[in-house]
Formats: sequence, C-alpha cells, structure tokens
Amino acid sequence: MSLDDKLKSLRENGIDEAKRAEKLQELNDLRVNLLGKKGPITKALRGMKDVPAEKRPEIGTLANNVKNDIQAAIEEKMTELNEKLVAHQLEEEKIDVTLPATKQVQGTKHILNQTIEDIEQFFIGLGYEVAPGYEVEEDHYNFERLNIPKDHPARDMQDTFYLSDELLMRTQTSAQEGRDMEAHDFSKGPLKMISPGVVYRRDDDDATHSHQFHQIEGLVVDKNISMADLKGTLEALCRHVFGDEREIRFRPSYFPFTEPSVEVDVSCFNCGGKGCRICKYTGWIEVLGAGLTHPNVLKMSGIDPNEYSGMAFGLGPERFAMLKYGINDIRDFYLNDVRFLEQFKGVN
Amino acid sequence: MKISIDWLKEYIPVTHTVEEMADKISLTGIESGPVKLGEELTGLVVGHITSVTPHPDSDHLKVCQVDVGEDEDIQIVCGAPNVAKDQYVIVAKHGSHLPNGVRIKRGKLRGQESNGMICGLDEVGVPAQYMPKEFENGIYVFDQPETPGQEVYDLLGLKDQMIDIDITPNRADTLGMRGAAWEIGATYDEKPSFKKPELDDTKVKDSNNLSVKVEEKALVPDYLVRELKDITVGKSPLWVQRRLWNQGIRPVNSVIDAANYVMIEYGQPIQAYDLDKLAGELTVKKAHDGDKLQLVDEDKVLNHNDLVVTSGDKILGLAGIVNGKLASVDENTKNVVLEAGVFDGASVRKAAQRHDLRDDASNRFEKGVDNGIVSEALVRATSLVDQFSTAKEISKEIVGNYTKAEPTVIDGSIKHINHLMGLNLSTDEIVKILDRLGFESEVTGDKLTVTVPTRRWDMAIEADVVEEVNRIYGYENLPNTLPAGMETRGGYSKKREFSNKLRDVLLGEGMDEVINYSLLSKKEVDDFNTIHSEYTKLLHPMTEDHEYLRNSLIPGLVRNVAYNQARNENDLGIFEQARIFNREKGVARPEEVEYIGGAVSGNVVNGSWNTKAQKTDFYYLKGIVDELLSFTNADAKFEYIATSDYTNLHPGQTAKILANGQVVGLIGKLHPKYQKSQSVDDTFVFELNIDALFDLNPRNVQSQSAPKYPSISRDLAILVKSDVQNGEIIDDIYANGGKYLNNVTIFDVYEGKNIKTNYKSLAYHLEFLNPNDTLTDEEVEKAFSLVKDSLVQKFNVEIR
Ligand SMILES: [Zn+2]
Repeated sequence: MSLDDKLKSLRENGIDEAKRAEKLQELNDLRVNLLGKKGPITKALRGMKDVPAEKRPEIGTLANNVKNDIQAAIEEKMTELNEKLVAHQLEEEKIDVTLPATKQVQGTKHILNQTIEDIEQFFIGLGYEVAPGYEVEEDHYNFERLNIPKDHPARDMQDTFYLSDELLMRTQTSAQEGRDMEAHDFSKGPLKMISPGVVYRRDDDDATHSHQFHQIEGLVVDKNISMADLKGTLEALCRHVFGDEREIRFRPSYFPFTEPSVEVDVSCFNCGGKGCRICKYTGWIEVLGAGLTHPNVLKMSGIDPNEYSGMAFGLGPERFAMLKYGINDIRDFYLNDVRFLEQFKGVN
Repeated sequence: MKISIDWLKEYIPVTHTVEEMADKISLTGIESGPVKLGEELTGLVVGHITSVTPHPDSDHLKVCQVDVGEDEDIQIVCGAPNVAKDQYVIVAKHGSHLPNGVRIKRGKLRGQESNGMICGLDEVGVPAQYMPKEFENGIYVFDQPETPGQEVYDLLGLKDQMIDIDITPNRADTLGMRGAAWEIGATYDEKPSFKKPELDDTKVKDSNNLSVKVEEKALVPDYLVRELKDITVGKSPLWVQRRLWNQGIRPVNSVIDAANYVMIEYGQPIQAYDLDKLAGELTVKKAHDGDKLQLVDEDKVLNHNDLVVTSGDKILGLAGIVNGKLASVDENTKNVVLEAGVFDGASVRKAAQRHDLRDDASNRFEKGVDNGIVSEALVRATSLVDQFSTAKEISKEIVGNYTKAEPTVIDGSIKHINHLMGLNLSTDEIVKILDRLGFESEVTGDKLTVTVPTRRWDMAIEADVVEEVNRIYGYENLPNTLPAGMETRGGYSKKREFSNKLRDVLLGEGMDEVINYSLLSKKEVDDFNTIHSEYTKLLHPMTEDHEYLRNSLIPGLVRNVAYNQARNENDLGIFEQARIFNREKGVARPEEVEYIGGAVSGNVVNGSWNTKAQKTDFYYLKGIVDELLSFTNADAKFEYIATSDYTNLHPGQTAKILANGQVVGLIGKLHPKYQKSQSVDDTFVFELNIDALFDLNPRNVQSQSAPKYPSISRDLAILVKSDVQNGEIIDDIYANGGKYLNNVTIFDVYEGKNIKTNYKSLAYHLEFLNPNDTLTDEEVEKAFSLVKDSLVQKFNVEIR
C-alpha cells in the first residue's frame, strides 16, 4: 500500500473509531494512540524516505490533514459525549420543587410597634424628635399642667389609676408636653416632638376598652403655628398611613389643654367616602384629637402665648391598627397569640 | 339632648332636613345626629268611643263602637281595663303599621269582629317609662275632644324630628332649647327671637309667709324663689306632655311638668315644693353626717359635704340634684314654692356621684348654667304654673342669694386671631361672624373687643374667639400648610436606637415580638422579683389581675407561652421590650427601667421531610443572648455565673448574666414545678437590663489588617470532675496560655460510658498566633505545657 493510501486508510479508521467511542476515556486513548509520537501516523511518516522528493510536500500536507481530521473527529465526539453527560446529570438531579422549604424564620414585629414606628418615621422625616415620657407620672404633669385642675369635670372622662395622691399611671402621653416645653431651649429653634408610649385608664377590658393602651402625642411650639399648619400636618400623616387619596376634616371638640380643639376625621379608606360598614355609612372615620395649645398650658411652661403658639395632637395606635387591618377586639393586641401576631409579618 | 325641630321653629326658621342640619352642626359646632321618630307609623287616627258592650264570650274583652271619622262607626274589640264610652282614643285602623314591624289587620276576637286596635302610648312608640303613669296599664285617652279620624302624630309628637346633640362639657349652654337655637342659628346665619315671659301683674303680691336663707353663699351664687297660692294641680296641656316625653321626661302634673319644661327651654333646672309641707325657713346648707333624705323609694344617708335644702328640721332635697318626698308637689297641693338656683358644679357632681343620683338637673349644674337668666327662667316657670294650674296669688321674687351676671369682655388682636387660624380674614368678616353668635364687637385699629353674653360662659380668652371665628367660618375652608419655622433635626434618642437594634437582633433570630400589660397580680410580682424591688401598688385597682407594676418581663412571657401552648402552638420564640418598675424602699416613685426579655419553648426546628427536629435548650437561648450581647457593641466582659437564687428557675440550668462584674440580667430554664403550675412545656427565658447595657462603654473599633502569619493549633483532651465548669477551665487556659494564645474553643463534652463516674471528658482547641512574626513550635509547646500544668495543679485533671 502506498504511503498515500496508508495515510488515507488511517484517517478513515481513526474517524470511524472516534465516532464509535462511547466514553471520554476511549477518545483520550484514541488521541494518544493515533496522534501520539508512537502512533501509526508518525510511524507511517518514517516511510517518507522512499517517496520521491517532488511528492514529499504533498504527502506532508496530507499527513497534516489526516491528523487534523482525526483530531476534529475526536473533539466533535468529545463535545457530544460531554453534552450527554451533563444532560444525564441534570436528569438525575431533578427534584420536586413543590416539596416544602427548609424553614428560615424571622420574627414578626408586634403590629402595634409596626404601626407606631411607621408614624414615628413619618414625623422624624418632618424633623420631629421622639421623646417618650414617664409611665408613672405626677398628677402635676398629667393634669394640672394640661389645664385640668383637681375639680375639673374632664377628670371624669378618664378615670385614673393613682399610686398616691400625687403619683399616677399616666392617662395620656400629653403628660410629656409640660416636661418637653420647660426643657426646650427656644433660642435653638422650634420644639417639634412626638411622644409615643403606654397609657393607663381605669376601664374594664372588653372588645373596645383596655386598661392599658398606646398613644402618640405630638407637639410643635414656635412663633407662627396655626390651625392651618395643624390641618396640613395631620392630612399628610393620614395620607402616609391610610393612602394618598385621603382627605381630613376638622370638627369642633373640647380638650382642656387645647383651644381651639378639634376631632379629626379621615375620609374612609375602604369606600373612598361613599359610605360603608367601616365608616358607619358616613364616609368619614374619626382618628384623632388635636388643637392649638391652650395659652394657659404655654404660660405654665413659661412660654409667652402672645409670642409663641403651639399645636398638639394625640392619636391611638390601637385605633389606627384596628381600622387599617379590621381588628375587632382590642384585647387581641395583648393576648399575643402567635397566630394573630404573625399575620402582620412585613405589613409596615 | 334632643333638639325638637317643632320646638326649634318657635325661635328660628328651619328650612333643611334633620340629616343636613345634623351634618352641618357637627362640622361647625357640636357632634349631632338626626332623629326621626315614628317613621314606620301609618293608619293611626283619633277615635271616639260611642258605645262599649261586654264581650259575650270573654270576661275582660269589650266590644266598642268607635267613630273614626268615617260614614259608620267601626267595631273594635278591646281588652284594656280603662276603656270606656265617650273616650277619645288612638285607633290603629285595619292595615296600619306600628313600631317593631307590627301590622294591624281586621279579624275576629273570640267570634267578634274587630276592625283595628285601640292603642296605648307605648304601643305607638312612646317609651313606657316616659308616658304618664295613669296610662301605664291601658289605652291612652285624650284629655279633651279631638276630631275623630284626624291623624294622631302631631297631637302626640309621634313623628317628631329631632337633632340629637352630644355636647362636650364646655358647651352646656346648648342643654336648653334657647341656647341650642343660638348655636344652630349661628350655623345658618339666623338670629333667634324669644318671647319674654310675663306674669299676670294683678296677681303679684309681696309674700309674707316665706323666708329664704342660703348658708353656703359661695356654693349657691343665685337662689331665687316664688310662691303661687291657691292653685289647682292637674294635668299639663298635651303640647307640654308630648314635648316632655320626647325629651325622655315623664309628665307628672301641671306643676312638675312646668318646672321640667322650663329646664329644657332655658337649661335652668327648677324645683317645686309644697308650701304647706314646709316646716319653717327654706334654707340651703350643708347636711350633718348621718342626716337622712327620704326619697320615694329609698332613704339616702348624707354627710357633711352634701348641700341640702331644708325647712325647719325637714331635709327636703339634695340641692341641685333631687327633691325628696317630704315637700313634694302632688294633686292635693294648693300652695307651691318654685325654686331657681345656681349650685356649684363640683359640689353637685360629687354629691350626685356619691349618692348615684345623676340626672338632668345635676348634669346641668355640673357643667354650668347661665346665671344671667335665673330670674327670667323663674318667671317663665311661674307663668306656666299659673297658666296650667291657675294661681290666685303670686309672690314677688324672694331672694336667698343673688350674683349680678356680667357679660365677658375679651380683648384680642385681628392680626393675632388670623395668625392663629392661618387665615387672612378682614375685620368685617370677623365682626360679622361674631355677630351671628350674638357677640358684640368693637374694633379700634387692630384691637378687637368682644362682649360675650352670659349664656356663653365658656368664653374667656382670645383663643376662645379664635375657635368661634374659625369654626363658623368653616374648618373646611382652612388651607393645608406645614409649620414653616427653622429646620429641626428629628430622630430617636440614642437609647431608643440602641433598643431598636436589640429588638432587630431578636427578630432576626426568629422571635416574635409581644406586648404585655404592665400591671400584674400579686403572685406575678412575687414570682420573679429578681431585682429585689419594693412593690408598687395601685391605690384602687380594678381587678386582682392588674394590681402591681411589673418588676420583670418574665411573668408576661410565661403567660404568653401558656396561652399559645393551650392552643396547641407549642414551638415558640417570643420577646418583649418594655419597662419594668424598680422602687426603692422609702421612695414613692419607682424607677422605670427599659428591659428586653424573651422565652423559647418546644422545637427550634421542626422535624420535616428533610430535617430532623431540634428542641430548644439552654444553649440555644444562650446563643441568642450571646448574639444580643455582641450587638450591644459594649467594651465589656460578659459572664454567665451559675445560680440557684431564683425560686422559679431551674437551680441547675440558670445563670446570672454579668457585664464587667455587674449583674445585667439572667437566663435559665423555668423550674419544673413552676412550669407545671403554669401549664407550659420546657421553657427557657432571659431578660436583660437595657439601661445598664446602654451605659457600658462602646467598643473603640479600629480596623486591623488580617494577620500575615499562620496560626498554630493544639488540641487538649482532659478528664475532670463533673462539677468543674467549662468557664473555669477556659479562664484558666487563657490565664496560662501566654500572650500568643489567640482563641480557645470547646469541641467535645462527654460523660458516661468509658468515663469513670463523676468525671467528664472535655476537649479544647487552642489557637496560637503571633500577628507580627512566625511562631515556632517551641514557643507554642512551652505555652501549652504551662496550660496543662496549671489545669493539673488547679483542677486535678487527667490529660488524655
Ligand atoms: Zn367607608
């Protein structure tokens, strides 16, 4: 057989073998065997000396082509086998993604604290300081400094847990107003604070009453505070909490420590004002009480009501949360049934 | 109070529906709701009974022929005991509708045809407790002939429309129809007009047989009376009665009804006494302890704080609250004394509370009355009694005490008023609004002087004027602005940020946040008084469950575990951040200390198709606490010291947590006996004093590059007595390991098989590192030997 034919036959066999291979190892072996230094092509080329000189370049080219063709056939087959292997592996590793997860649990922040912090964040954004007060408070700060002297009928509205003649469980976070006003240095700018916390009333616990609940008091004292400022601030708050479309309205009311005093209604977030069960078919929901700080309250803290004015508001996180999430029983907040608590994961 | 539209029309024109009015009044003045009585009623007419015959087959039924204005009388069978010939009555005709969905149809009663029903007042919607007593057990009978067939609604006020106003305590001026007319009039820009009451001058004489004395002049600024002689007590006219029962006041007789009518009309309570039952001078004074006041159905024992009206030795009534039975007016009364007084609100409030006698009169005195109309209201009451009961003689006003009522004059500034509203109203606009309220204004430049009539005793200062102007102008017309002062930097306090951070750690550890009551039972404060606080107790608790201020978060947490586990929620991780109250002996006020505490129970990880269940234990919770402590960022040495000090914690699985040697909290398993008493599974709890942790110096964190040199490790296995604690061993290793000992961890604890009894095997991994140079084996070996020698010497360990 001529060298020419020998090379061609080697090519044929090599490509054929590569095609027939079933494992990567066979292909590796084939490469070493056929194309290696001790392989048949190398051996065949030793017969080059018998080839006439003019034909040698032709044979050399042929030999290179044979090598390349075999190499290509091996690589092609290798790619094919690799693909198969991966496909097989993927098939093997297939799982049932509908099986339950391996649990990764974060705790749930109490819905009242979520509600409170949402409101706190709103006011912090407007430059308010968060200043919690004392839960055990002096009668002086809880009542007298809020323009509620000993015989004032308003003391009837909030039956109080007393610890002694002068000490009590605060009935309102407004108790912090006097302390904040007397501590504030007005030369450094306005007083803007909110005071969140727990308050206590001598109430029997039922679906709508609790002897312990939360309040957030807000107070701004500066030279130019007006009812319009109060309305703008509270409307922005209600939009933050209940949605961008909300409006508020003021209704005249009475609190001893504000004058004028108003109740604040927000347009119903459920029906948009058309009337529904939640808003008792009025389109409005009462959410908080507010007003301009009573001049007597300013005076008692050494602030001149002719120079300064203040606005104050008090809101109930329990009420906000009950409205927003349709909670019907205030006692649910304090029973701490984890099934209740965990419903509110991530709502705020 | 309910404002009757029918009555209101006497003072101002009314052109809107009650719904519209209630809405508008709510927005400008006082929370109100519409009331429409008897909307469902139909087919009720006046009937004239022309004959009554016994029912042939019944003892108590009667067969009546009734003229209802039709061509022929209709037959109605009636069972009322008081039915009689010639009465004018309420007839519900065939097809008529009564309250509560009742429908009247013709039919037969024991064989006799009946074409409707003759009704009692309660059957047509007047509440039984407010209808005249004489009709309580029968049909209603008109006092005088009415036109048969005429609808009865207006005669009896059955379809009255009213506005129910729910006043705030400062607006008691609207607890009378006249005050309400002023308020509603201002809302609609309508000035009310009132008729001045007048007496028949020919009857007015100087009284000569009654003297009046007020001992407590400070508590009774006004006390005026008038006598009426030779009256005939009967029934008051129907128009008075129907207005009273629609106010929730039962008509009684022509004197008492007149007094009550004036209370509703003027807001001024009026009292009436039978002059002939008096035993001497009419005197207002303080009672003596133990005095008795005789009421109709009970006696009240009085004390020296009670203000009473007396006559001789008779105690007639509690001033401003109630008249007893000793001098009450009845159908036999001939001579009567009418009293119009003003009594101190606080004194009335306390007495009414003390004796559980709050009513229409006391409610008005508590909140205040207009002392400018006392005399006029008495004239009105006197004239009504004269009108209804025909007196022969009327006395002049007899004065026990009198205080001249002065209008309130308030100075303000137009600019300041506008500025507080955030508006820019003209002087004219402001003056016009004040005029609608009936306030006179005087303006000099920016200065505004407002003269407020006595009927608005709530008005005192400029801020009150601001409220009046703003609400009548309309809060809906206020712009929405934000305070425009100097910028402020808001935010949380540092401590609040610190506690927020700790809460976030526990949330990240998978614990749910709870909020518990601060008020505990005696048992609960006893259970975990680990801070040795004096208890802080409420003076007047509502229940034994909530009597003391909490001294630990653990009782609440345990209650939560029990509550959930009773509902088969067994795997729990919960925490609370709240205050506890720590009181020192001899100090009234407790210190309020921020705490954070948690409880875990059941499984950390539940068994599942791909995971094994893992139960909570001490070390699981300790891991959480460790993480919490590292997040305090405190430059402090934290230690866990085993303790058996706490009764309700497991003596072998509890530790005090120390920071730099000071106790800052505890961690432990609940005592098995306590667990059983609380019905909880194995539960582990901790609590930490946030205030104490916050006060620790923070770490000064300066970044260091990671060491370039490798560390060298040695493992050490020892056999040691069981009661030796890991903490002691580790401390000793650190103490003797030299300056290059970088870290020591325990990696095995073993007791039991192949280990002699009362011994345990511990294995430690020691890592040595010199950040600045390559460590040699000799250096490490030397340090390691010192460690081993010390352990052998101090703890008698066997090196394995
Ligand atoms: Zn709605």
